[in-house]
Amino acid sequence: MSQDPQTRTAESNARLAALLTQCALRNQQAFADLYRATAAKLFGVTLRILRREDWAEEVLQESYVNIWNHAADYAVQKSAPLTWMTSIARNRSLDWLRRPRQENSGAEYEIAVESWQDEAPGPLEQLMRADAAGALADCLGTLDSRQRQTIVLAFFHGLSHSELAAHLQQPLGTIKTWVRRGLERLKNCLASA
Amino acid sequence: MASYKNPQLRDKLASEYVLGTLRGQARARFQSLLKYDATLRQLVAEWEQKLTPLAAAAGDIEPHARVWRKIAARISGSAKAGWWANLALWRGLTVATTALTLALGVFIGSRPAPEPPMGMVAVMSDERAQPAMVVSWPPQKAARDAHIRVKLIQDHPTMAANTSWELWMLPGGKAAPVSLGLVGLEENQILKLRPEHAGMMSKAWGVALSIEPAGGSPTGAPTGPMIFKGQCVKVI
Repeated sequence: MSQDPQTRTAESNARLAALLTQCALRNQQAFADLYRATAAKLFGVTLRILRREDWAEEVLQESYVNIWNHAADYAVQKSAPLTWMTSIARNRSLDWLRRPRQENSGAEYEIAVESWQDEAPGPLEQLMRADAAGALADCLGTLDSRQRQTIVLAFFHGLSHSELAAHLQQPLGTIKTWVRRGLERLKNCLASA
Repeated sequence: MASYKNPQLRDKLASEYVLGTLRGQARARFQSLLKYDATLRQLVAEWEQKLTPLAAAAGDIEPHARVWRKIAARISGSAKAGWWANLALWRGLTVATTALTLALGVFIGSRPAPEPPMGMVAVMSDERAQPAMVVSWPPQKAARDAHIRVKLIQDHPTMAANTSWELWMLPGGKAAPVSLGLVGLEENQILKLRPEHAGMMSKAWGVALSIEPAGGSPTGAPTGPMIFKGQCVKVI
């Protein structure tokens, strides 16, 4: 197998898009295949944001039911299948955080935010090695390290401005500025990439 | 209060919505704006494309098997409802594309259909190229009781007073359209197919819907505008 990463990504996208079309036609077998191919990816996303296994499982379940119900809508989307699905899982997770907590117990499920050092091997380093994310990784690399850290923490762990402020021990206004400037620079860099 | 029309603010809100730092009331307000603002949805989609590759780096975590069992239990009901009933599917299709043809062919060929067999289908679009109506009929050999199934998928269909909608089969080439009967405003309708027409249906090129005087075309040929039109796709 000596395929280049782009060909591999294109093939995997085509396969997932075909499965989504089958899901729109209510093909349960295709849905099972889609789940097998993507559940670990989406569970990683929800678990990092929610940090409780029971919540993450609940949201993963909601996300896939949503994907099944809206698979027909995907036909008119222009995004890659995994981007579309990941966005559903992320939005469901963030919406979940807004709900009033039904129960306060369950601390045993809690998973700590990785004490994430910008230098330590973390998501960013993995991203640098990832096939599909070339331009984004390059552009993140051009950010000021504090901007990069806030953006990556917010994205991976679903931290709000105030949680970021507490975690990074910085004033709220400073955090908001880092996020805003970081996103602006990222946008400009990606536009010229 | 800042205006949601300000392009810089819109971009900032879209980016922070996707990043996840837009929270609480602000997030709820932004989500309700999204429902009515297509260009805002486009901005969000662009940010999702920019940032989501980050998620690929997060590392996979295999969920417990119970999650799939719960999902499978929840979707089994909707799967039984069948794809003909799935309005979202038909509305999502702008034209009967090759992909659809393949998907339908593979799908119908691959499992025992709980629905009546379908020989051909046409997704008809209105003048704005939006899907408006789907018609299908069984293959000829199954046509002892030949009929056409009509599904109206337009959001708010309206029919002017003293007019009728008439469905036509377009045989293709220079042949004249053949009337298949009048169509109402119900979502699901069945038209009986006249025996002399049954044989022609498997070779139909397309179908069209015209506006006619109440009771249908007085001449036997379409007299009013064709409002919906679609090409036939063979599925078996």
